[in-house]
Amino acid sequence: MDPITALLILVCVIVGGLLASLGVHMIPVGGAPAAMGTATGIATGTVQLMFGAALTGLFTASTVATFFPTPKPDEIVGIPLILVALSGAVGAMLMLSFTMLFANMLYVFGAGVVPVSGRVEVDPITKEPQAPYKTPQTDGHGVPNVSYISGWIGAFLGGFGGALMYFVLKNYAFPAYLFPELRAVDAETVSAAAAGIAAAGIFVANAILSAYNIGGTIEGFHDPKFKRLPKALISCAVVSALCGLCVIIASWGLMGGGA
Amino acid sequence: MTVPTAPVEEEEAKPKEGFWPPTETGLGIIAAILGIIMTILPFLPSFVKAIGLTFVLVWGADSVRKTSRYGLGTGVPSIGVLAVGYGVIGAIAGMGIANVGGDFTIGGVEVLNVGVLGGVAIAALIGYISGIFSNSEKFISMKIPGLERGMTELGVAGTLAFLLESSMVAGTLKLDAVLEDVFLSGAIAFMFVMSAIGMFHPFNACLGPDEDRGRTLLLSFEISGLICIILGIVSIALEAEWLGSLGLLNAALLILYGIVVWVVFYAKFVRRSFEASYEVVGTGLIKTVK
Repeated sequence: MDPITALLILVCVIVGGLLASLGVHMIPVGGAPAAMGTATGIATGTVQLMFGAALTGLFTASTVATFFPTPKPDEIVGIPLILVALSGAVGAMLMLSFTMLFANMLYVFGAGVVPVSGRVEVDPITKEPQAPYKTPQTDGHGVPNVSYISGWIGAFLGGFGGALMYFVLKNYAFPAYLFPELRAVDAETVSAAAAGIAAAGIFVANAILSAYNIGGTIEGFHDPKFKRLPKALISCAVVSALCGLCVIIASWGLMGGGA
Repeated sequence: MTVPTAPVEEEEAKPKEGFWPPTETGLGIIAAILGIIMTILPFLPSFVKAIGLTFVLVWGADSVRKTSRYGLGTGVPSIGVLAVGYGVIGAIAGMGIANVGGDFTIGGVEVLNVGVLGGVAIAALIGYISGIFSNSEKFISMKIPGLERGMTELGVAGTLAFLLESSMVAGTLKLDAVLEDVFLSGAIAFMFVMSAIGMFHPFNACLGPDEDRGRTLLLSFEISGLICIILGIVSIALEAEWLGSLGLLNAALLILYGIVVWVVFYAKFVRRSFEASYEVVGTGLIKTVK
């Protein structure tokens, strides 16, 4: 296997893992307290939210990736890479936007609470006061403006990272020309499926380690827990590097071994 | 006239001193040995490998139980999904190694394949390192006793589960053949989700003050039965040709194994739940078994 290709896979997997970790720190996750309306965020776990967003991103990214032919083994492509990664980011943003919007509708019209942050007195972006609207003894409700914008950015970064990993794995680790005995359509499908599952596995591992770092709930970049980010980034870089090594080994084996 | 009767002293029900449940280490050793033996012998029929898969999933569920007992903060499912995340990466790496060496073929049948153990070792390493990072004061500092061991076990269990499921459907552990069988058909997505459910669901469903280890693990057996039924149907749909004329029989035996395991362990689980409850009253909708 070409050492430059191996390096490209390794670097892109590490970058994708770091973006996944960063994304997890920025989406508003409320967990069980939010399900009772007593904490800010969407009422589910980090894994469900980030994995859902990343998978939606993978769907859009894999659709866009079909517009580009598989590059030759030693050809590094720039524009398709960026376009596919951006389309993944947009898919993830859409999914998370709808989730946050409908979570807010349920909180406002169903539970009758105002979306309000529990961590800051004044919204850092819109400068709206938060404290007067917060029910005493609770930790905020719903998804306020700052968390919504933070969630957008987080989903953008996470989707970008996931799609970046997908594109590189599909075209350089498990490219379609490795399956010459299959029909062209089937070869493309095998290549996409292998890349998608491997990218999902690496993404999940990084997202969950980051979720452990924030202890399950976070409001967004204005949350004090966001300062713990560097610790998660170091852990995720090491774990992603090992995962990237695994993918390189698999790709090396698939190409029949050798240098 | 009523005769006062002496109060009957209820005997404290002693926990059964039998084979089940084994200690955590004992279960780990049994499952690891069984899983590895079934994995490196790809020529075995599917329902024999299914026994290995069952024990591997139970081992994973036990590891999830002992790490999630202290509260993860993100819910129990996260660690089960982490296990399959590492598992799928380790399995791909192991099958990649198997693609170039470590296999012994006699008469066109892959008899022994030790190359995949490389992937198992890498997954164990990733699990151990992430366990160190998660528990270390300088990094994520979750402070859960035994998290390093738990994550290592989860990495190994996840990898073995994927390898066994792939070899049950494809009959080989070579990456190119597995990709063309398991990945092209989309069965891998099913394996990804169901292996995670087999590991995290038992403790997620049973956790609470009256959680009982023996009873919790019964659920994992039941889910492995469900996986075997569906993998058997997948094998039929893929015309599991790897055993030649015995392909259909092989798949049918796998489905049969799945149904037996599912029914037996579901009944056992319900009975254990009834025994543990104070009283079972029917709502009238379902006939009460007791």
